[in-house]
Amino acid sequence: MLLKTLSEAFGPTGFEDDVRNVIRGELDGRVDEMNTDVLGNLIAVKGAKKPGPKVMLDAHMDEVGLMIVQICDGGAESGLLKFRALGGIDPRVLVSKPVLIGPDRIPGVIGAKPVHLQAPEERQKPIPMDKLYIDIGAKDAADAKAVVKPGDAAVFATRYAEFGDRAAKGKSFDDRVGCALLVEAMQTEVPYPLYGAFTVQEEIGLRGARAAAYQIQPDIAIALEGTVCFDVVGAPSHGQSTVFGKGPALTVQDAQTIADRRFAEFMWETAKRHGIPVQWRRVKGGSNDFGAIHRVGKGIVGGSISVPVRYIHAPTQVVSLDDVENAGRLLRAVLQEIAEGSFTL
Amino acid sequence: MENHQPLLEQLMTTHAGPGFEGAVRDVIVPHLRSYAQAVQVDVMGNVVAQVAGCGEGRRPRVLLAAHMDEIALVVARIEAGGFLRVVQTGGFDPRTLVGQEVVVHARGGDLLAVVGSKPPHLTAPEERGKAAPLSDLYLDLAMPESAVRERVRIGDRVTLSRDVYLLRNRRLAGKSLDNRASIAILLETLHRLQQLIHQADVYAVATVQEEVGLRGAQTVGFAVQPDVAIAIDVTFGAFPGQAADESFALDAGPAISFGPNLHRKVFQRLVDVAERHRIPYQIELSQTPVGADANAFQVAGPGLAAALVGIPIRYMHTSVETGSYADIEQCARLLAHYIAELDMAQVEDLSCY
Amino acid sequence: MKEWIVRLAAEIAPSGSEGRITSVLLDAVQDIADETHMDALGNAIATKRGEGPHVMIAAHMDEPGVMVIDIDDDGFLRVIPTGGLTASEAAFRQVAFTNGTVGLVCLEDGEKRPEQFEQLFVDIGAKHRQEAESRAFIGLGGVLGTGVADIGNGRLLGRALDNRVGCAIALHAFRELAQLGRYVSVVFTAQNAPGARAAQAAAFALEPDLAIVVDGVPASDVPGGKRTALKLGAGPAFKVMDAGTVAPLSVKQLIEDAADALGLTLQYEVWPGGRSDTGAIQLTREGILAAGISYPVHTAGAAEALVDLADVEATLRLLVAAVQTFGQ
Ligand SMILES: [Zn+2]
Ligand SMILES: [Zn+2]
Repeated sequence: MLLKTLSEAFGPTGFEDDVRNVIRGELDGRVDEMNTDVLGNLIAVKGAKKPGPKVMLDAHMDEVGLMIVQICDGGAESGLLKFRALGGIDPRVLVSKPVLIGPDRIPGVIGAKPVHLQAPEERQKPIPMDKLYIDIGAKDAADAKAVVKPGDAAVFATRYAEFGDRAAKGKSFDDRVGCALLVEAMQTEVPYPLYGAFTVQEEIGLRGARAAAYQIQPDIAIALEGTVCFDVVGAPSHGQSTVFGKGPALTVQDAQTIADRRFAEFMWETAKRHGIPVQWRRVKGGSNDFGAIHRVGKGIVGGSISVPVRYIHAPTQVVSLDDVENAGRLLRAVLQEIAEGSFTL
Repeated sequence: MENHQPLLEQLMTTHAGPGFEGAVRDVIVPHLRSYAQAVQVDVMGNVVAQVAGCGEGRRPRVLLAAHMDEIALVVARIEAGGFLRVVQTGGFDPRTLVGQEVVVHARGGDLLAVVGSKPPHLTAPEERGKAAPLSDLYLDLAMPESAVRERVRIGDRVTLSRDVYLLRNRRLAGKSLDNRASIAILLETLHRLQQLIHQADVYAVATVQEEVGLRGAQTVGFAVQPDVAIAIDVTFGAFPGQAADESFALDAGPAISFGPNLHRKVFQRLVDVAERHRIPYQIELSQTPVGADANAFQVAGPGLAAALVGIPIRYMHTSVETGSYADIEQCARLLAHYIAELDMAQVEDLSCY
Repeated sequence: MKEWIVRLAAEIAPSGSEGRITSVLLDAVQDIADETHMDALGNAIATKRGEGPHVMIAAHMDEPGVMVIDIDDDGFLRVIPTGGLTASEAAFRQVAFTNGTVGLVCLEDGEKRPEQFEQLFVDIGAKHRQEAESRAFIGLGGVLGTGVADIGNGRLLGRALDNRVGCAIALHAFRELAQLGRYVSVVFTAQNAPGARAAQAAAFALEPDLAIVVDGVPASDVPGGKRTALKLGAGPAFKVMDAGTVAPLSVKQLIEDAADALGLTLQYEVWPGGRSDTGAIQLTREGILAAGISYPVHTAGAAEALVDLADVEATLRLLVAAVQTFGQ
């Protein structure tokens, strides 16, 4: 299953190779052309010469991860690895998680001093990242250096599985869900030029998308994303952002974008017309690639379609498979309605 | 000419903050002219010097950039008594400014001033334990208020005043080694390139307004759109109490940066060149977009292959920034050899993932 | 001029919902412009071709406001800020939405001080969700504050004066320069309040030789005033620097020459906390020559502001003179 493969692929920000290769394999022979640019964005193209609006779909390939910055030498630390975050990681989610490091996927665990040995006041506080280590079982620094080097990236070693009621858990649904939707969308036939941009470096500032949008210069752009979902015990309506299983979410405003109201309404009405559940994303915080895309060049019309993801940026994220499916249906409906001229620029 | 150290010393005592780089630009331009076929100044004030490569047809285009601005202050208010309040253009630690001599660049000419602070005799014990914020500091021109108002206007720029000190082992200390050291590297590189055959067209750029947000780099990156854009900027010299991955030894060669926002193949090539030519080097890791012009280059226009190299200096953003001229020379060797070996096959490979 | 300011300030235009004021402004230049249009980000743009270098005059037309982000079962709304509005500024005030709905911003019971928007809700008097949904929707924009009052001695006070004053100045300058046969564009920019997000798109499209941005700047001749060294009523200010721009000396010279020619005293703006469209325009493409000319206000960036009409007139004269000086 594509979502499983993508979710388990290794793609911390700046190290998206594995994900790019999975996508390239999936789309091989199914699009007119596929190119990588100098940043590592993978851009798939269909019908470049067709008339009509040039549409760009975007999903970012990168995920939050870690970078090994030091292999400790000497003393009790010897052979343990120091690391820093690649992208926004809450240090509180790190302790006691397994990780995979570097091109050889060397397994390791993130450890800390046992709770028994922590002073009462220490126990009250989250453990800061510079007090955590990755343990790969090395005997000493030389042993560790044989398999890991500073600069190697690491990801959480979370396996994909379906559980509960039409739900799936795994790592990096933000934004492998978007990648899966985009792979699927690139295989639909539309009468206008369609560009699928699988971008890099979203997690450190929407960087790949900005360059990709400049190259493509689309008339319409849609970012496909995983977004915050916190519809859990104790969360009031306005603190949830999105509700699990209630369909894809559309944005009115986030930290980087005030939505193009006409386009947001067009997508909303499309969902209603096609009987697809849809919801508004009800929070200001967070952002996605459209935040960078819409400001490129002369300005670009569009928006985003987001799949609610519980525990986004944590090692284990949870999505509703119905939401994923409905996001795909909505995207197809939107592409079809654009073809039918329901949205005029 | 032996090397550009005398020029570096001149540059370090010349004043140029973000948006008023003219004085340093005037010093640099004639030197760039001696290496380049064309030297232009753009709308933002960036200097772009072109050195053509050899060969017919499409040649690699490499941009080498060092920012020429330094952290500076701007006069924000004139207080009673003629004392000046200032704000930052660039990141000073206000604690390093207390007692500092500065130059106010006024319309009628430069004026010397001292950053004032209350003497310890008058400071309450609890005050002594606290650092004064910039808003509490003032500039003393030792002139009556009327004279100050006549000469100084809101918006006048202020820079540090500091001679260059030649320390042991070819190390030198002073203001604005960040990033005049890299201007020296730029010129040393062009100097070495004259002895080498290179296919690449080189755009040697002195950028403006780096210290306020990589602004000159953003526009010049867009304008030139080179195949490879290399920023040269200083990094943190090793000093007690700093994290190991944020500390680089002086005299151990330039630091070559690696991270998501730098092109890994350019990085690797720089490392390979260093190894092959026995140039000492260090590797700097970054997890977020770097705080140097390379950050802006990567996302300029369609996106550029960006790299970052530079020498370590101690006491960054103070008036006693300290670095080694030996590192400057090693960095220039690295860049000259990298450029000499750059070819179109490498350029085409930059987009292959 | 005053009539225009009052008329423009009556429009409700929180960032991203500038639709209505856009038509008012474009209608006002239609007769004299060669072309007018609205771009993808909501900027309203008019161009008149003519002599000399192409000069772009820009003034943002949006204002800080709020946006509905949630509607609950009991019919209460939750809002988020658009632009730099804080929860304490919004609390206990009336909010007027773009669709005519009005509401009261309230603090949740039990909360002492409004510090975050999460503590606030808007009461529009609806009895339940359904009724609320008939009068408001998620994404609906609104503004705070009351209409313009003429407080005598040539001063005005009220909502959105920052930057409807700038719009009025830009509008007049454009008309005047167009009549003089200059090649000039005017851009009423959208989405300035959340961080100058739209101006660069217009600059990218127009590629002007010079851009002059008109905006309000806080005067600090008020109790505790420290943000700038400017005085209300002391004339226009040249923007030396703000959080987004440092002016090149050539631009400074241009504005100074224009002021000198008019015999006008210029103030100098150093406002490290400010963010006008100037920087966004300056850094577009290969770099664009951009100048900021500001009129002093009391409380810039807030819902309401107080301005001096003499400053406004002088700013207009300086702007026109600067464009005429440019390229001569
Ligand atoms: Zn994401
Ligand atoms: Zn620097």
